[in-house]
Amino acid sequence: MTEHSPEPKRARETGMGLRALSRATWLCAMLASIMDGAETISFEKDVYPTLAKAGCASCHSSNGVANATRLQFPDEEPNPAEITGIGLSLRPLIDPAAPEKSLLAAKPTQRVPHAGGKRISPGSPEEGRLVAWARHLASLPEEKGARHAAPIRNAPNAALHRLTHTQYDNTVRDLLGDQTNPARQFPAEDYVNGFLTQVQGQSISPLLAEAYAEAAERIARNAVARGGAGIPNCAPGQTTCRDRFVRDFAARAFRRPPTASEVARLSTLFDQGGPALAIEAMLQSASFLYWSEPSLASTHKGYARASRLAYLLWNTAPDAALLTAAASGELDTAVGVEKHARRLLASPRAHHAVDEFIGQWMRFDRVIVLLKERRLFPRFNREVAQAMAEETRRLAAGLVWNNGNFMDFFRAGYSYLNADLAAVYGLPEPKEQFARVAYPAGSNRAGILGQGTFLAATSKPGETSPTSRGLFIRELFLCQHVPPPPPGVNGNLPPVTEAKPMTTRERLKVHLNNEACASCHNLIDPIGLGFEKFDAAGAPREKEKLTIPTFDRKKESQTVELDLLTAGSIAGIPNSNFETPADLGRILAETRQCQMCVVKQYFRYAMGRMETAADRPVLDAVFEDFRKSGFYFQELMISLVRRTEFPDPAAVTGGR
Amino acid sequence: MAAPLARRTFLKGIAFGRATGVALPPLAAMFNGNGTAYAASTKPVESRFVLWFNGNGIPEKYWIPGETGKGFTMTPCLAPLAPFRDDIHVVTGIDNPAARFPGPGNDHHRSMSALMTGTSFTGRGAGGASIDQAIAARIGGESRFRSLELGVSQESFGESVQRNMSWAAYDRPRPPEMLPHKLFERLFGQKELGWINRRKSVLDAVRADAAQLQKALGQSDKLRLDEHMSSVRDVEKAIASLPPQYYKVDPPEYDGDMKDWPRIAKLQSDLLAHAFATQQTRVASYMLTKCQGLTRFPWLGYTAARHHDYTHRDGKAPGADGPDGQRIMRDICRWHVEEFAYLLGRLRSIPEGEGTLLDHTMLAFVHEHAEANDHKNNGLSVILAGHLPKFATGRHTRTTGTIGDLYLTMADEILGTGLGKFPTAQKTMAEIVA
Repeated sequence: MTEHSPEPKRARETGMGLRALSRATWLCAMLASIMDGAETISFEKDVYPTLAKAGCASCHSSNGVANATRLQFPDEEPNPAEITGIGLSLRPLIDPAAPEKSLLAAKPTQRVPHAGGKRISPGSPEEGRLVAWARHLASLPEEKGARHAAPIRNAPNAALHRLTHTQYDNTVRDLLGDQTNPARQFPAEDYVNGFLTQVQGQSISPLLAEAYAEAAERIARNAVARGGAGIPNCAPGQTTCRDRFVRDFAARAFRRPPTASEVARLSTLFDQGGPALAIEAMLQSASFLYWSEPSLASTHKGYARASRLAYLLWNTAPDAALLTAAASGELDTAVGVEKHARRLLASPRAHHAVDEFIGQWMRFDRVIVLLKERRLFPRFNREVAQAMAEETRRLAAGLVWNNGNFMDFFRAGYSYLNADLAAVYGLPEPKEQFARVAYPAGSNRAGILGQGTFLAATSKPGETSPTSRGLFIRELFLCQHVPPPPPGVNGNLPPVTEAKPMTTRERLKVHLNNEACASCHNLIDPIGLGFEKFDAAGAPREKEKLTIPTFDRKKESQTVELDLLTAGSIAGIPNSNFETPADLGRILAETRQCQMCVVKQYFRYAMGRMETAADRPVLDAVFEDFRKSGFYFQELMISLVRRTEFPDPAAVTGGR
Repeated sequence: MAAPLARRTFLKGIAFGRATGVALPPLAAMFNGNGTAYAASTKPVESRFVLWFNGNGIPEKYWIPGETGKGFTMTPCLAPLAPFRDDIHVVTGIDNPAARFPGPGNDHHRSMSALMTGTSFTGRGAGGASIDQAIAARIGGESRFRSLELGVSQESFGESVQRNMSWAAYDRPRPPEMLPHKLFERLFGQKELGWINRRKSVLDAVRADAAQLQKALGQSDKLRLDEHMSSVRDVEKAIASLPPQYYKVDPPEYDGDMKDWPRIAKLQSDLLAHAFATQQTRVASYMLTKCQGLTRFPWLGYTAARHHDYTHRDGKAPGADGPDGQRIMRDICRWHVEEFAYLLGRLRSIPEGEGTLLDHTMLAFVHEHAEANDHKNNGLSVILAGHLPKFATGRHTRTTGTIGDLYLTMADEILGTGLGKFPTAQKTMAEIVA
């Protein structure tokens, strides 16, 4: 038997000798499992609580760091039937020949290497329960365990998507020619799941309702004063003129034909206050402010699809051709949906929609307000921060619209720079502002990984943060959620002193040497450490410059230069050792996890929610389309709208 | 006794954005014979509640008074409150237990949700109603605005739980109004009767549209639309009861610096005082800086980093774990207190009934953490202020209760809201009750 490392806290509580305790509990556990036989161990009562307490699900779930392993828990809290199912699904982790050596028990105790660290003490009663369950599973006929299907939850049933603020602005621009971007005055939207489109973040507070009311009044008044936009000048009592306007305008504002009672209400308002009053009401109607998820819309499915296509691919309301296609039933087929999706993508409006996605995914809102310490980064200013966002926008747009392989987002050997940004990066000045320039040999930059949107935005004002850089890659490029540090943990690294100058890598070793921190920091810090030769503003550096803080005002503070190492790796991805961003870019671009993450991010943005287990078939199908196209982003967009609407392959050719 | 003023009498407020020392003319003339209510209103004088939030934590050694009881010494951070010694009660040692419940989020997310609502961060927002909203649900129904949410500094990481302090319910933020002239328009925008009638017909149609749409929706969308329509009803109510016309407030300057936070804070405080004086609301939340806030402090001379950066050692910028950083945090936290003192001053300068607005208001000033650098969430320091009859003032108390205990004691013992319960509240915090 291997040497057991004791669990100090428990020993302190009981006052027993550590070694004696661990032996005793191990024996007890073994005895219990032998004497009870496998019959009486209950997964629900004994084993599941043990796994829950060890926190397995925080990594072993669809968006966890260990989502590629064979141990998987559902994203939501499972019900009793699902817990039973999980128990049976563990069969593949069992070694039938030697159940006590099964991964189920050997991994969390780190008797075999476990990226998540030691979650359960070797020799503890908890381990005993896992071993007992392993014996039980080994004793079952093979098919009973193997046939277990992962519990499938239904996708959330919320159907209403509120227009985002940019969608609102674009919609009133298209509807009424209003160019004032009124939504910029609305209370700001919050990021949820990394995007502004999330249904869960779209409540309408009294403050927002008031802002809608104010904006509607102003937009309507200005539109009537300007004339045009299909607003007639009906003489009083001219009901034909009125009715035609109300019907036509409501059909555009609501993106479907209005009902008789809607027409009646709007006509009354028209009689009371002319077209302005009717427009004011329409711009506050729920039918204007929300569009319906097509798959859940109870009526007008075709019109709902028109809205889905337009708001996703154009970030604005459907045009007349789309509404006509909805009316004619063309959007009731996958063929029709695809045809119109391709038509939309051929328009310049689609470019703005892709910019919007990239801007939210890469959090341009944070990039453009970056602040760097002026004494250390004298060239860095607001304009440079904005140029960083523009650089990223152009990289993505170039790939999307020039038939590029989107995975080059991670490994492109070129970028789009202006003079100021090139100066900050220490690169030659481009001939033309934001022209595409190849990186000089040896720059080690690659795609987004060589850009300030990543390098500077993850850094603090004065120094890099390998932890933040690692976390950014895990969460945004691998779609893996790393559990947050437990509450009350002291996250401070050892200070730099004159006697002991340390690089950030050395200071971060604190995380990696402390078992409680290591299980998570092992997953993130080694990724970020590979970028240490890029400073907090994104410029290359060979040494880490340290100013030893002095609190003695009379003393000059000392500066030390330390050598940097850039060995990095991604735990959980085989052969992922890297030295430079360019190395990592190649690894990411070729990793399924990263490729799938691009699909997932676009899915979240498009559907306004996180994916669930029920979405897996659709995601897999979209991924296949994306991969087969050579990772052409436009095909991802087309595939997503088609497959979320027509998930059954039979429907691809089917009718209504 | 002076003759009652006519409803049409316009009173000049303060000069917004300029010297703020211009006093508001006394409103005594507008009280009725026994001096307890507006001549123009039949409402009795109301009690009010303000929850004031400051992002990040404090430097405890510059903040917490060494002595307890009446004779405590004002620390460097508390110094701006010296003129209000008898109007405040400094309470330290308060626990925020829900910040330690296991769950998603970083220490800031968790503390924020727990501090406002006594519940855990959901991964998106707060897990329940915040204390101001719970109180508003009890006492705000009769007012023009059930509650007001105000903010000042906008610099933040941008997540919902970082940008909002008021929560109507699970994941339902009530965002603060951060632009003084928009707040002014909401509170004091003068409207004609014709406009009011038009707006009402529009909102009637909006609600009828929603009712029709709702029939076809699933349960969760029905609830969302219900919430939306409840917001629309709040807008209607605000229209139906416009501010009294005898009370004139000048709008804030439009061309001032909209990122000059000390200036914005004072404008917001002025408007809040006027909103109380005109009985437009009884409950307000005031978010001076954001949760895990990134405010810059040029007026304090600290431009090398942002608020949150200063709370931790950060490269060359001094962090709060060193003496320089502690001093920076001291100045930042003193500024928080300074702006709070300004609001107290405004409330104390406006007579109401037999006293001032401050006499009829309960205020609570809270920080996201105790010691900033450690993200400490036990031993929080809070300033309570006001002069409601059952509120014990003029002292520093060290306690062991929870933030829920404090809130519920304020709500039920001092404000008499009959709330009955609040997450993490277990016992009355008797020390703050007179």
